[in-house]
Amino acid sequence: MTTSCEHALEYVYAYLDEEISFFNQTRVSTHLKSCASCTSAFEFERRLKVLIRERGRTEPPPELFDALRALIQEERQGDGPIGRV
Amino acid sequence: MADQAEFEQDAMQYAPQLYSAALRMTRNPADAEDVVQETFLKAYRAYGTFTAGTNLKAWLYRILTNTYINKYRKQQRRPAEVELGELQDLYLYKRIGEISGAAQSAEHDMLDAFVDEDIIEALESLPENFRLPVLLADVDGFAYKEIADMLDIPIGTVMSRLHRGRKALQRKLWTVAEARGLTGTEQ
Repeated sequence: MTTSCEHALEYVYAYLDEEISFFNQTRVSTHLKSCASCTSAFEFERRLKVLIRERGRTEPPPELFDALRALIQEERQGDGPIGRV
Repeated sequence: MADQAEFEQDAMQYAPQLYSAALRMTRNPADAEDVVQETFLKAYRAYGTFTAGTNLKAWLYRILTNTYINKYRKQQRRPAEVELGELQDLYLYKRIGEISGAAQSAEHDMLDAFVDEDIIEALESLPENFRLPVLLADVDGFAYKEIADMLDIPIGTVMSRLHRGRKALQRKLWTVAEARGLTGTEQ
């Protein structure tokens, strides 16, 4: 673990979230090109982020769409669901 | 100004994401439906104030988040006080590395072994003040600034909660992996 490893790992989330300054992004990218250990760690964190995004969702019950349409319809007709919300 | 008559057509595409986010927040399907319905009603009523062409998804999420917080945070005692203790960076990566020794692919193999329920269990295990930033960033892909606006907290607070929330998520994933026998270290 070198100083540049510590620096790169400090920015792992900012880098993966694309919330990093151009200067630091360049420094991290340059480091990753020559450091297999940090590249492996970054790749793991990147894959975990993708996994959470892909697997962290639940589909709604189909009735939800009808319920939402009905809610808007009632509200539009002016006799909205007073007291329901 | 957005046209209220267009609301249903514009907003309905986001209903599945909003429901999923509400379910992760409330951890209860009936409450999640209530939150989404209330969000849609508030959004419909306020649609005239939405600037057409700006980020509708972020606008709806802001209403969703506020609805959830107003409805459920009151029920909790001092929810923002929850702390997570000290956790090392790259928690999961390092734990897997410890058991796998020289097997370079072990970290990635374990990620492949996680199923939807594992990820959901880990997300829902987070205390609320860490769960919301993690959900909004990692599941819904919002920028730090957008999350700061939605939760009405400074961007630095978003970053620190996200950082600690992600470590706690990784710790939970590790215990889930242990419980499922994926680590080879179970009793």
